[in-house]
Amino acid sequence: MSRYRLQGKGRVDHSAPVSFTFDGKTYQGLRGDTVASALLANGVHLMGRSFKYHRPRGAVSAGSEEPNALIGTSRGAGRFEPNTRATVQELRAGLVTESQNKWPSLSFDVGAINDRAYMLFSAGFYYKTFMWPKSFWDKIYEPVIRGAAGLGKSPTEPDPDRYASRYLHTDVLIVGAGPAGIAAALAAAQSGADVTLVDENAEMGGSLLSDPAVLIDGKPAWDWVDAQLGRLRAAGVRLMTRTTAIGYYHQNMLGLCQRLTDHLDSPPKGAPRERMWRVRAGQVVLAQGALEKPLVFDGNDRPGVMLAGAAQTFLHKYGVKVGDNPAVITSHDSAYHAAFDLADNGARVAAIIDTRESPRPDLLDGARKRGIEVLPSHTVTTTRGRLRVKSVRAAPVRGTQVGTGRDIACDCLLMSGGWTPSLHLFSHTKGTLAWDGQTFLPDRKTEDCEIAGAGRGLWGYADVLADGAAAGLRALEGLGRAGHQASFTVANDRPGSGVSHTELPTDGNAGKARAFIDFQNDVTAKDIRLAVREGMRSIEHVKRYTTNGMATDQGKMSNINGLMIAADALGKEPPQVGLTTFRPPYTPTSFGAFCGYLRGETFQLTRKTPIDPWAEANGAVFEPVAQWRRAWYFPKAGEDMHAAVLRECKATRASLGIFDASTLGKIEVAGPDAVEFMNRMYTNPWTKLQPGRCRYGLLLGEDGFIRDDGVIGRLSPDLFHVTTTTGGAARVLTMMEDYLQTEWPELDVWLTSTTEQWATVALNGPNALAMLKPLVEGVDWDDFPHMSCAECTVAGLPARLFRLSFTGEVGFEVNVPARHGLALWTALIEAGKAYDICPYGTETMHVLRAEKGYIIVGQDTDGTVTPGDAGLDWAIGKAKKDFVGKRSLSRPDIVAKGRKQLVGLLTEDGSLLQEGAQIVLDPNQPKPMKMVGHVTSSYQSTMGHPIAMAVIEGGFDRMGETVFIPMPDGVRKAKITSTVFYDPQNERLKA
Amino acid sequence: MMTSQKHDFAAAAIRIEDAAPALRLSLRVKPAHRDAVGRALGLDLPARVGQRAQAGDIQALCLGPDEWLIAAPEGAPLADAARAVYADAPHSLVDISDREITLRLSGPAVLDLLAACCPRNLAAMAVGSAARTVFDSATVILWRDGPADFRMDVWRSFAPHVRSLLAQAQAEIAAGL
Amino acid sequence: MLLIHCPYCEDSLPELEFTYAGEAHIARPADPSALSDEEWRDFLFIRTNARGPHYERWRHIGCGRFFNAIRDTVSDRFLTTYKAGEPRRPLTNEAAE
Repeated sequence: MSRYRLQGKGRVDHSAPVSFTFDGKTYQGLRGDTVASALLANGVHLMGRSFKYHRPRGAVSAGSEEPNALIGTSRGAGRFEPNTRATVQELRAGLVTESQNKWPSLSFDVGAINDRAYMLFSAGFYYKTFMWPKSFWDKIYEPVIRGAAGLGKSPTEPDPDRYASRYLHTDVLIVGAGPAGIAAALAAAQSGADVTLVDENAEMGGSLLSDPAVLIDGKPAWDWVDAQLGRLRAAGVRLMTRTTAIGYYHQNMLGLCQRLTDHLDSPPKGAPRERMWRVRAGQVVLAQGALEKPLVFDGNDRPGVMLAGAAQTFLHKYGVKVGDNPAVITSHDSAYHAAFDLADNGARVAAIIDTRESPRPDLLDGARKRGIEVLPSHTVTTTRGRLRVKSVRAAPVRGTQVGTGRDIACDCLLMSGGWTPSLHLFSHTKGTLAWDGQTFLPDRKTEDCEIAGAGRGLWGYADVLADGAAAGLRALEGLGRAGHQASFTVANDRPGSGVSHTELPTDGNAGKARAFIDFQNDVTAKDIRLAVREGMRSIEHVKRYTTNGMATDQGKMSNINGLMIAADALGKEPPQVGLTTFRPPYTPTSFGAFCGYLRGETFQLTRKTPIDPWAEANGAVFEPVAQWRRAWYFPKAGEDMHAAVLRECKATRASLGIFDASTLGKIEVAGPDAVEFMNRMYTNPWTKLQPGRCRYGLLLGEDGFIRDDGVIGRLSPDLFHVTTTTGGAARVLTMMEDYLQTEWPELDVWLTSTTEQWATVALNGPNALAMLKPLVEGVDWDDFPHMSCAECTVAGLPARLFRLSFTGEVGFEVNVPARHGLALWTALIEAGKAYDICPYGTETMHVLRAEKGYIIVGQDTDGTVTPGDAGLDWAIGKAKKDFVGKRSLSRPDIVAKGRKQLVGLLTEDGSLLQEGAQIVLDPNQPKPMKMVGHVTSSYQSTMGHPIAMAVIEGGFDRMGETVFIPMPDGVRKAKITSTVFYDPQNERLKA
Repeated sequence: MMTSQKHDFAAAAIRIEDAAPALRLSLRVKPAHRDAVGRALGLDLPARVGQRAQAGDIQALCLGPDEWLIAAPEGAPLADAARAVYADAPHSLVDISDREITLRLSGPAVLDLLAACCPRNLAAMAVGSAARTVFDSATVILWRDGPADFRMDVWRSFAPHVRSLLAQAQAEIAAGL
Repeated sequence: MLLIHCPYCEDSLPELEFTYAGEAHIARPADPSALSDEEWRDFLFIRTNARGPHYERWRHIGCGRFFNAIRDTVSDRFLTTYKAGEPRRPLTNEAAE
């Protein structure tokens, strides 16, 4: 039995011990514990060291707002996580945990030297301390800072867990299952609406779990909670625990992160660790309650100093007494109840130090009955104790005078500075806030949401329950449904109020006070005042200068205290200074939860062609092209890429190559106005293209720049088979649809994507015709010259056959319905054996087309290249009055001299240029040099020397000139040539 | 003492099956000629996006104001029937039988399965309707044939990605958390 | 993620089913060759970049249609949507709210 565990108390299972380790030492906790409650049960308060000063720290809260007790957790191989909040992580068998930010050990830490040198590390220290000399930054300051900084250590292995995603559509989403949330859910569920109630904790009930003596409708709080959850379950309400609403987005879309397995000893196979829910709710009820605020005094960060409400939660939920001899410092009534409950469970409460003059008589009575000394109008000026608080110094306050203090021995100090409504989610919606003199409350809403209970400043269960019920009913009415208003009778209620403070008054040297506001980022009250003195006026500047509220807890405890002190320093009211912006996520959220399924093989969509299995089976190396994976080249044993590509190129030029061109975009353009539409879209003239013939088509944007190209066949007067580039397929179809729907709706023509209807196999080489002929039926070979097309059968399969070439050799593209793609491919491979058919990939396709000077849109063009720049003026229908982009071709900057034009390049030394390399005319000019263009394509070729294409200013007028390509290892010289390197007379196409 | 949720996972079965190939046609026609083409095909083409019509074993789904998806057994002579009215009722009828593959998704947890990657409120989708929507980054057509019975048409090349996502979600639902 | 009302599907549907398609009501001139260089430049490149209600086009994957919308660029709220080809909708008081 752990020393501080109260037998039979709490909601933990006393019959189920759970072992875990912390910094190598084995401890026992109970099923239902968090790491923090289990450590506290063992008397361990020291759980970590702070970020900047490496000060010893313990749990200050009992919940997700915890800034101090950040630990590393290991749930098995590869499952290490830094910065887990010990107050959130549930115990599970074999959990390994460790403290952070310490070396060599938690109790003796060398980095704590920072704490002695705290004067150096005041607000904005990195803007000031490391300014000079400048040369020190790279070599000394930054490496040292990087070595010393950081919160925890990153995992070194890939995350082996799965993560899931789910969309949810619900009528009413209620965030927070405390009394207000439960009452709201009961109200909303009454008319059969789809209701979802979520809570970040392992159990629903909220503050009622920490206040078991409260009676609701005659029932003890816990029984009441159980009964209501049963009712909700019976009514079909979706109840989700361990589910944090991390963000509230437009139109009632919320992100929920549900933790599924971290608390399980052995998660079920296939179970994801976490699931991200994207919820669309008709109405939202925010019932997130309020967060307790620390008080600001010297030494308020020692282990053992914690929020009073946290002590109450550890006591009632976990059966853990946080100390035998607590002292209390408070400005709010609620801390009395924590003191009373601890006293009633055997603790000897040293004193209740109340900053207020006249505590409530009933509370004073309660203290007297328990023999607890109350010190009204007192302040705390400091605490003592190295790794755990040992005493607190209380001093009377008269007006602004602080009298002589006395040290009160204690083993923990419970503090309460009042409660801050949890406004994070509400603020995500850009809802406005109003200052009530003590704190900010929600004001004007921008979404269909209600805020209920302590989240809008109410205190006491009777008020909170009534408010929750009313909010649930309003949500229901917002859906156009009706219900009735429930009422609750509450006995043993614990209403309360309090006052807000800046720093507590002190008799010590205020300049030396270490009064922390942001525990995680080690920001003190003095830092805030310094920031104001140094000229920060906006709270956003104060925040960034001091880093107040910028830690992983997002300022849940520090924002209001920081604001109060900044406002005081500025001599303004808090609302005039304003609050910093709350941003999602509400609590730290794993990257895995955001990724969901999008990792590993489903990291991103990968499209595969019907012929992909053959390529994979035959050793293809693949490359990604747009969303597709395409066979890049087919290496034989011992071949590198260069050798494989050269072999594929030569085999194709010598005899026959086969290529999977299925990824080419295909669009069926059909209807009586098909030819008119084609004339308007493409630069080329289409009217005279006969059915059965095809033509290279060039598509411009309205700005005159090349967008896409491809060979287009006219299958019948009203039917065009358009091909596009692989990457341009969707874009081109969208562009065409746009014109058709919004500019020319009068045309009777329709567009259908057939990219995936057809598998496309390209055959190229001098033997292509001989090989293909016997397999084809339905083609009149006497009338099937280059640039023809036909519907026929190939290898017995229904096909669309195109005679065209992207290699300079005789070429065909055979299209068959996709399900037959693999059958066609294997049939052609079989038939091609007689001609040493060679499968080739995209790299060989690139080389062969480059040798012929055929461009690839997107490689040789970049969105600023006109047909004229690319040497494609021949593709423009000069007689056409209009087509998309035509008007732009006469814009002044398009017809101006000196445009970059597409030319060929041959290096003088026969070396291969690098694609993207910049080109200059004079390599000896001073830097920065004038760059006149860049290499767009560069390959080893079949001609024994490399070839390249480039865009160069005024390139067409520079034929034969030498240009220079400066590279890291020296300057290359190259001669400007035509882009057609191979068979310029097209003799080989006529075979 | 600890409250916890219980689920009946035995009932959470999901079936994912490939549907047999079928004839699929994309019909595009302006509203003025919708009825004429419909008559030629023997269908009363619905005018509202998402609505379906059926005549024998031929189904028509309205995908857009001028777009219908026709699903029929292989070999149904629909193209010839439409061609006969083309001169008076111009339209486009394109065979896309091979463009998509069809998955049958069924079982009590099928809505959860689809909600893994589809942002639409499918619970609110009427049985007997259909919709073109997205499943992760793939465009799909979802036909709701029964309360727990869906068909998903997905472009062939996207199918491996979609299948992999479905398998992950299926395993997750089977795990019962 | 927004819900966007598609005027063709007559339903409010998740933003993931939609793509943005630029400013609305910029018609392609009937005869581009009749335009001066300056007029053509304005057609190509000059856009309003509104702070507040903005007329813009979206496309719905579901029905494949382009349509018009007025969206407030400050609040990111859609004030209304209407079919392509319909005249520019006036900003009513309630729409501008």
